[in-house]
Formats: sequence, C-alpha cells, structure tokens
Amino acid sequence: MKGKADNESGMRSKKTMEAASLASKYQKQWFKELHQRVDSGEPFAYLNADVPMEIFRAMDIPFVVNQWWAAICSAKQMSKRYFGFLKEAEYRDDLCSYCATAFAGSFDPNQEEGPWGGLPKPSMAITRLTCDSQGKIFELFSKNYGADFYPMENTVPLEAPDKWWEKAADRWEELYSEERLDAAVEELKRLIAFLELKTGKMFDENKLIHVMNLINEQEMYYKKVRDIIAEQSPAPAVITDTINAVMQAQWQRGTEWAVDHAKFFYDEIKGRVESGYKAVPNEKIRLMWIGRGLWFNLGFYQYFEEKYGAAFVWSMYLAMGADAYIRNHVEKDPLRALASRFIGMEDFLHMPPWNAQWFISEAKHNQIDGVVYLVPENCMQAVEGSYFITKMLEDEGIPVLQLKADPVDSRKWNQETMTEAVSDFIEKRIQK
Amino acid sequence: MAIRDKALQSEAFNQLKHVYDNRDSYLKTCREKGRKLIATMGCDVPDEILIAAGYLPVRVYGDIENDLKDADQYLEYSFDPVIRSQFQRIVDGTYHELCERIVISNSTDALIRIYFYLREIHNIEPNKKVPPVYFIDWLFTRTRMHQVRNEGTVERFIEEVEGWIGRELQPEEIIKASEICNNNRRALREFSKLRKGQFSKINGSEALVVIGSALFMDKEEHTKLVKQVIEDADKWDVVEGPKIFMTGSVQENTTLYDLIEEVGAVIVSEDHDWGDRHIDRDVDTKMDPVKAIVDRYMLRMFSSKKAFVSQRVESLVKAVEESEAEGVLFYFRIYEDSPSWDYPEQKAALRTIGKEEVCFEKQGLSIQEDSGDKDRMIKFVNDLKGGVNNEGKSG
Repeated sequence: MKGKADNESGMRSKKTMEAASLASKYQKQWFKELHQRVDSGEPFAYLNADVPMEIFRAMDIPFVVNQWWAAICSAKQMSKRYFGFLKEAEYRDDLCSYCATAFAGSFDPNQEEGPWGGLPKPSMAITRLTCDSQGKIFELFSKNYGADFYPMENTVPLEAPDKWWEKAADRWEELYSEERLDAAVEELKRLIAFLELKTGKMFDENKLIHVMNLINEQEMYYKKVRDIIAEQSPAPAVITDTINAVMQAQWQRGTEWAVDHAKFFYDEIKGRVESGYKAVPNEKIRLMWIGRGLWFNLGFYQYFEEKYGAAFVWSMYLAMGADAYIRNHVEKDPLRALASRFIGMEDFLHMPPWNAQWFISEAKHNQIDGVVYLVPENCMQAVEGSYFITKMLEDEGIPVLQLKADPVDSRKWNQETMTEAVSDFIEKRIQK
Repeated sequence: MAIRDKALQSEAFNQLKHVYDNRDSYLKTCREKGRKLIATMGCDVPDEILIAAGYLPVRVYGDIENDLKDADQYLEYSFDPVIRSQFQRIVDGTYHELCERIVISNSTDALIRIYFYLREIHNIEPNKKVPPVYFIDWLFTRTRMHQVRNEGTVERFIEEVEGWIGRELQPEEIIKASEICNNNRRALREFSKLRKGQFSKINGSEALVVIGSALFMDKEEHTKLVKQVIEDADKWDVVEGPKIFMTGSVQENTTLYDLIEEVGAVIVSEDHDWGDRHIDRDVDTKMDPVKAIVDRYMLRMFSSKKAFVSQRVESLVKAVEESEAEGVLFYFRIYEDSPSWDYPEQKAALRTIGKEEVCFEKQGLSIQEDSGDKDRMIKFVNDLKGGVNNEGKSG
C-alpha cells in the first residue's frame, strides 16, 4: 500500500496497544455517563485545551476539552459535514479548524448524529485568550448553545530560562517572573469565583491538592515510558501507539482511572521490552514528529515504517506529559503550582527558544535521525519559530523536513504529495 | 477622486503629505538633527511615555515595493502581508540605521511572535543589524483585575525607559507629554469631523495622509499643521459620492482608499489604527498618569483583533451610525483572520440598521486592479448610488 488512504481522507492507524484500546473504551463509557449527568441537569463546561481543567476536576464539574473533541470529530470524519454548516452560516470554512470544529458542529440541526451521540449542550464555555481568534470562536460557540462565555487572559514571558524541563517539576518559580505568576494565580481565583457562583459548588483546595498529586503520579509513568522509548532501539512503541494511549488519558488527568491507565500503559511498554517486542522490527531510522498529531490520518506514519524501517518514535504528546506537567510539593501552594503549569504550556511549546532547546534535548535523548515538522498554514497559535527550531536542530546535525498541512482538516491533505515529501526526505537527507 | 487639487494647494496639507510620502527621509532628517527615535510596532505602545523621555516615537511600516526575502526566511506563511513587510524592514537593517530601539505591543498575536523572533535573532545571529527590542504585554479584557495588571505593565515600561535615559521620569513630564498627545488627537478629531455628516469636506485618502503622518512626526509640529489644514479645508469642495465606513485591516498608504474613491465613493471613517481608531480617547491628565495611560489604551474603541464578537458588533454599529455612512466595506488581508469571525454577526447587525456592506477577504496589500474584486467594488458603489455608475448612467 503506497501511502494510499483506506478511505477518502486518510489512513486509519492500526491500534496495537491494549492501553490505547482500553482508553478508547473508557472514554466512550465516560462520554455516555457525561450525557447522563448533563441530561440530569448538571452544569457542563466546554474548555479550551489550555484552560486549567484541574479546577473543574477538583470541583467535580463535568467538562469536555475542545481539542479532544475536535480530534474525535476528525477521527470520525465529521469535519466536512461540520465545516459545511459553518459555510452555510456565512463563516469562512478554512480557518482555525482545530479550534473551530465544535463551533462548526454547533450549527448541526441533528446534534445527536455527532460522534457518540453528539456533544451534550454546554452550560458554560471557557477559553484562554492565547490567540486573537480563540475568544471570538468561544463567544460564538457559547451563543449558539446558550452557554455562559468566560475568557481567561494570557500573559507573555519576557524572560527565557535555560532548560525549562529541568526546572518545571520543582523549581518552577525560576521559570517565570514573580508578577506573572501572581497574575496567573489571580486569574485562577477569579475563575474559581465564577464557577462557585455558576454551579453553587464550593472549591476545596484539599481536593485540588489530591487532583494535582494524582496528575503527578500519572505523568511520572509517562516520563518512564518516554525514557524507555528514548533509550531502546528498536523502540517498543511508536507514536501511533502512544498518541492515543496518552492523549485520551491526558484529558482525564487528575482521576484515579488516569493513574491506573498510565500505570497499565507503562507496564505494557515494559512488558514489550521484556519480551523483546519491536514496534518496527526493521527499525533503521528514528524520526521525531513536531507539531499537532495528524488526527484524521494516524496511519500515515506506518507507510514509512514498512518501506524504510523509519520509526516515528517521538511526539510532543508523550514527551510533554513526561516533562511539562509534574509539579512536586503542591501542598505548599497548590494554586501557584497549577498556575506555573498552565501558563507554561504556551511558553514550552510555542515560544522560541523554550521550544527549540527542548526539541534538541529530546532529539538527542531519543536518538533521532530526522525531524518531520508539521507547520499549519492558518494558525498563529501553532506558529512557534519554525526557522529557529529548524536552524537549531540542523546546527546540531539533525535534518528537518517542514510539512505544510492542517492536522484536523482532511480536505487540505494530499496523501500522495505528503508521502513523497517524507520519502524524499528520508532517501536524500537521512539515508544518503 | 483620490487626493484633490484643492487639498494639494494647502501648504499645511502638502507638508503633511511630504512626510507621509517620504517617511524614511523625514526620519533621517530628524535623526541628523539629533532627535532620538524609537520604532513602535503595534498600536498600543504609549507614545506619551516615550515623548516624556525625549524620544520621537515612529511607527514601523511596511514597503509594498520591498523584496521580502529576509522576512520569508524567518516567518511562517501565517503572517499577514503588512506584518511580513514591516518585519522585512527590520531585519534588512533599515530600522537599525534610524532608531535606537523597537518597542512592540501585543496588539495582535502575530506581534508576540515578532517579538520572540527578533529576540532570537539577537541571540543566535548577533551580527544581524536589528535594534534591541522591548515588549509591552497589555491585557485587553475589561475587568478591574486586568486593569491593575496593566498598571504594573506600564510602570515596568516606565522603569525600562528610565534605564535607557539614565534618570527617573517625573509624573509632570508624563502629564505634559500626555497633553501634547491629547492636543494632537483633539486636533485630529476636529479634522476628522470634516469627513462626516452631510457635507464632507475631506475624503478618505486625504484623511489617511493627515492622520497617518501623526505616526512619524513631532506631535506639536503635527498639531499645528492639522489646525491649519482644518482652516484651509473650509474652502474645499464638498465631497460627493456614497459614504462608506471601512472596517478591518490597517491601511498604511492610500492605495485602497484611492481605488475606492476613484470609483465614486468616499470613505468617511474607519476603525483601523492608521485612521480614526488612532485618535479615539484621550489620556485624562487630572488622574495619576500611569492609571490614565492604562485607561486610554485599554478602554478606547475596540480592536478588530482583540475584542470579542459582541463588542465588535456593537462598536461597528455605533461607529457607522456616528459617521452617517451609507455602506460598510469589510477588508481583511490574508492571514489576518481573526476579524473574519466577527463578520457574519456584524453583517446581520448592519442589515437591521439598513446598511449595505461588501466584504473582501484574503486580500494582499491592496485590491488588484485586474481582479474581479475591483468589479465587485464598483458594483457596490454603484448600488449605493441607486444603480447609477460613475458616468451617471444606470446599470
């Protein structure tokens, strides 16, 4: 199969890990229960991915994450239908596909035909203002569902600390200016006040501590998994194994289930190593995928495994879990620890030199031979200094291929062109 | 129509136009005369503080004639053509020759990236001739909490500027600079009134020249000339044609306005930052200067980039009604996408007040002469005229 899609849009990946299957089963069940909770009148929050969901978890307010839902809609091939509705409503259908899928879906007159019975009707929608469009999209989304719209401000780092990943878990105060962290804590307090008024539920800091510690436990397993994959060659798992296993559980972080699942995932990976399992038995090349996951076409990666023995072993999804989330000793000041996590995500991923330094460190740690870098065309939030990242990686002797594509919108994907680009990159710049 | 002969006969207008048309040479002259220039990027860098410190703040602008090879090397496709062109002039060394520093405000998220990229160029390509950069991180959500944080941001900017000049800035100096800026804005608002109402004396291109030149000139010198233009314009003919309000992307030159006005319309106001938005709201000089500056930049006319849809709808309807425009022209450059989310609701709201509109999306630096867009523009203007074309014929 020469990079050919098994449906009109993309290749479905083969799920080989039980952890991924378990997570899929769990999230379907969880979503069913979510429907039941919303049907029984509970408040339901729709959150952008960068909103500190830990507060909602601690307050037991059910929520769905925008980008998780976009990925589900994309994987279920719903993008075309939803963006058709958007166009009918006179909105452009070629913007912000990752963040606007749910808004597009809000125009669907048959909501129940969405994935797993459709998105329940939210009573509130919360986003951070991390790009110019996000607040506008969430306000429109809220209006369509009759939900309350709540924006959280975003601040920009003026300092650039070295090696953030070595400081994030214990020395996070060193990553940010004091006033920026203070402002983020105030932002959390304001959110809590809104939620208490909206839901009638009290925020209990002890519950937040519990949630934060569960997250630490979960992410520690990801760290162990990341380290195993980094150090084992051939690798016991590739990103098609890990993305689904990690991301589905990441949106459930702060629960006992997520900790158990992360442990199961770790045990499964460890078991693979012990049994001599190789994800790509003829692994000759180790590749890093920078950028958002190709949700509608996770099978894309497998063609290169078969043809070249090229294993995509690294994506940010597992590695961010390993390096960005853990905050030890949260008891001292849980809100400040949480603040240091949620404001950092943008910095870590999208701001040079924070991101470029980390990619180099991870590339070395993971014995990477080449990087395939997905640069979305119409998303300023995903614009992260591709020139600097590419230059800094290549200066370290690691070749980089930039792909221009949309991670969610299958309409913009040309399987043949993309397959050729990656093949060419492997043949001319890695195999040489 | 473009700029009329009557306007060109005004000595004051001509002086402003000379600066507007020859920005770099004007700035070079200022520099030669010993003025210290600070380049500003984004529309939310408080000129008041820079002027108080003795600097001449000058707005970074793009050059449509420029080869963008340097910018293309650093910037992803998602940067709009104006910011791309501005960045080119920074990395090609133009501003290194002219200015001491660049101050960037987060007036749009693309500028946050520009700040990081310039800082990285300093770090990894130190020989590149790029002035040092400073970033002002405003919060535009209108709550007390964010207002307080903005006050801290402005205080930190003042401290930074004090470091540049090697002394403390006194509150009286900031108040005096605020008065200078207020006088300039007041004069420009008086001038802008001449664009509006039944008997417009100023067309859109002329207005862009007068307002836009304020972004480069010494404010007191500019104010004197604007006052003279106001007097001179009394003798100018009334501008004929359907009145249009323009919303969306900034216009750093008159190309688009010329094109629209050549087909018989007149642009009576706009909400971008090289037009009427620049002159909205003063700094209250009776208040604490830091708080007053925060209020001016935080609470003025909503920005097309940073405001929510409902705010933009309300703001546009109000501005259109105040300008007495008959129609609205939406103009969005490619990759300058966030205002596109406002458009459908703004369009619906305009319909309720009986205003026609036309929308141009994914545009380059201006509408191409040979594109179908120009025909759409002509049709829109003709429709506003009641189906009469530029030669007075129906159809």
